[in-house]
Amino acid sequence: MSTAIALPETLDLKASGPLKQAFVERRGQDIEVHADQVRRLGGLCLQVLIAARKAWAEDGKPFSITAPSEVFIETTRLFGAQGALFEADFQGAAS
Amino acid sequence: MDELEAIKVTFFQECEELLADLEGGLLTMQDGNEDSDTVNAVFRAVHSIKGGAGAFGLEPLVRFAHVFETLLDALRSNEIPSSPDLTALLLRASDVLADHVNAARGLGVVDMDASAAMAAELKAVTDPSAAPAVVAALVAPVDDEMGIAFTPLVIGADDGMDDDDMDFGFQPMTISLDAQAEDAAVLDNVWTVSIRPKSDLYRKANETGLLLRELARLGPIQATLDDSALPTLEFLDAEAAYITWSVRVETDQGEEAIREVFEFVDGDCELEITRGESPVADVLASLLDIDAPAPIAEEPAFEPIAPEPVAVAPPGVAPASVSAPPPAAPPVAANAPAAAPSAAKPAQIDVPGPGQSVIRVDPERIDHLIDLVGELVINQAMLAQRVGEYGIAPSSNLAMGLDELEQLTRQIQDSVMAIRAQPVKSVFQRMPRLVREVANMTGKQARLVMDGENTEVDKTVIERLADPITHMLRNAIDHGLESPEERKAAGKNPEGVVRLAALHRSGRIVIEVQDDGKGINRERVLSIAVKKGLISPDITLTDEEIDNLIFLPGFSTADKISDVSGRGVGMDVVKRSVQALGGRISITSRPGLGSTFTLSLPLTLAVLDGMVVDVAGETLVIPLACIVESLRPKAEEIRPLGPTGSVLAVRDSFVPLIDVGLTLNYRSKSPSPTEGVVLLVEGEDGSRAALVADAIHGQRQVVIKSLEQNYQQVEGVAAATILGDGRVALILDVDAVINLRRRSPPLPSDPTLIAAE
Repeated sequence: MSTAIALPETLDLKASGPLKQAFVERRGQDIEVHADQVRRLGGLCLQVLIAARKAWAEDGKPFSITAPSEVFIETTRLFGAQGALFEADFQGAAS
Repeated sequence: MDELEAIKVTFFQECEELLADLEGGLLTMQDGNEDSDTVNAVFRAVHSIKGGAGAFGLEPLVRFAHVFETLLDALRSNEIPSSPDLTALLLRASDVLADHVNAARGLGVVDMDASAAMAAELKAVTDPSAAPAVVAALVAPVDDEMGIAFTPLVIGADDGMDDDDMDFGFQPMTISLDAQAEDAAVLDNVWTVSIRPKSDLYRKANETGLLLRELARLGPIQATLDDSALPTLEFLDAEAAYITWSVRVETDQGEEAIREVFEFVDGDCELEITRGESPVADVLASLLDIDAPAPIAEEPAFEPIAPEPVAVAPPGVAPASVSAPPPAAPPVAANAPAAAPSAAKPAQIDVPGPGQSVIRVDPERIDHLIDLVGELVINQAMLAQRVGEYGIAPSSNLAMGLDELEQLTRQIQDSVMAIRAQPVKSVFQRMPRLVREVANMTGKQARLVMDGENTEVDKTVIERLADPITHMLRNAIDHGLESPEERKAAGKNPEGVVRLAALHRSGRIVIEVQDDGKGINRERVLSIAVKKGLISPDITLTDEEIDNLIFLPGFSTADKISDVSGRGVGMDVVKRSVQALGGRISITSRPGLGSTFTLSLPLTLAVLDGMVVDVAGETLVIPLACIVESLRPKAEEIRPLGPTGSVLAVRDSFVPLIDVGLTLNYRSKSPSPTEGVVLLVEGEDGSRAALVADAIHGQRQVVIKSLEQNYQQVEGVAAATILGDGRVALILDVDAVINLRRRSPPLPSDPTLIAAE
């Protein structure tokens, strides 16, 4: 079973709750996170994403972020969160 | 989305200012002042535009700004020597950037080919500095071993994405390397900022990301994220803060500047600022310092981050570090949340803080305020008049109180007007580009010198200055300046100078456009005017009058119609729009030395100093600026001219007498001018006339109320005002009155006949 989540343009305070909910509902499935639309990434949604990635790693299910937008990459970098978000899927390393 | 739109509007407003700063800075550089402050300012301008554009996802703008910025960054770090050619290139790039901004705003389109060509040109110049980035790519595999996965990823992704353009991932690497290289040597400008946001921070719609971006404005930063407090997904409160950051900032600005970044989240965020690296990084840095005194591009690659106090490099690492790209480089054995180098470039988004000393106000609010103050002035005048009618002594408390009230009202009025006053800079700043473009188009070399950019004038005037100035500058370059060859032949510098100046003179603003070209060719002007039937061939004109012929409608001296000017709509349009503003334009020209156009305008279109007069029982206001003098004519000074007209002898010259009451149809028969008062007025074209009124009430400042907006346009009347007694008085349009009279008898349309001097 695999599923996907398309991240909205703005990942701010308002988006964090629904985002968490979306991940919780898809728990246990292979997941692809489409980050191509993202124009703003806030700290709260970053937390959700990191927590989700950890949860998926714990389950041993693939978690990948696909086609990240420039803003997404750049903000992730700014947060110092590349490792926490991208490491597993691109390196294939378990964490 | 409305909020976002509003922010976007602000962004574009800032863009305009930034573009102006950019151009101003580049022009300063062009003049040879290439101090680091200027270069930095120029860099910051482009950088801020890019940052803002990034936030709104304006891709083409970001892309171009990035290439531009990269070059400027290399320039400010002295990797590239500056040269006049480079500055010229940067100026052209700034024009393209302005186009991009406008396109993003929905105004016009960008010539993408030209933009790509310019980007390529910029990149070609930047190229030397691209070398370290290549090194970064080589070093990348090392990072893999280190468990820092992101760096290679981004580089790979970028290469795949678009090799024609830059991107976010690639370039920052370069800078981080450079920054690192410097680190080894200079450490006392390094700070470690530990940020622990509280949930309130997010709840108040603040954002750690913005704080990091603000920090990045101070200098290169590396954020290390600690998510050890992050609960599992199920137990995660989506609106609570868990993650904390430790940020390494490299800045020459002190702790104060760092603290300032967090000013607005005070209390919502635990903050700890320490000088130097975090402990581990310190060790690493000192190791580096000892082992590799001359930092090479490679070595910083493994130094960047020490996310956790783990696995400090064993001594054995030292020799390896100097040698080859794949050094042992084990220092960062990331077991914990592996933080990779967050090589964010300084400042990605320009977030205007609330503490800025400039406020933006909707102009409508100010207009409203000005209206209200106008009402206040009228009310105050009415009150004073009423009190006066009761015959209260001027020394009484009431009268004195009223005087004070009047003064206060005046001060309020002045202050409110001052709010709306703006420096003409906002208009002037568009001109350097215009001059470049026109000069290019006409194949002439022109340099623009600007003076008095900070001269302030009311917003209502400023908005309408741009067109006349544009026309005059175009005209100066196209018709005024000679071609470089002609100039050389005449022993002049091949580069012509056009001077644009603004100054205050007797309550008006004066704009001068001066060129050092060939001056007006009077013979040619005269012959063209005759040929086009604008004047009769047998008339004798003074030099000044000939010069003024170029303001006649339909006059164009250009032999062929060019793209730039010479459509025959040039100077007469300028003149008309200037007159519509209550201004006047004049020209002086010296053959071989150049011409000067002088534009004089009222400082505001909201209030006016006028003479209140009585005409046939009506109260009228005549703008003081037009009045030369007032007098009571003697019978012998009045001479009849033709069946109905008459002229007044004033100091050896005759001026036509105009009865205002007759012209405006207040009465059908004029009383003798000797019974009334004559106001000698000067029209915009310098022609004089004597207006006859019944009585003068005095001089007064009146608030202009538009007649067109509230009623309709009336010929001979410029606007209306409300007087102290509450009555509406019309403000006379002196030029129109002169023209009305001129038209009523069938006179030849020869404009040079008006002045019978």
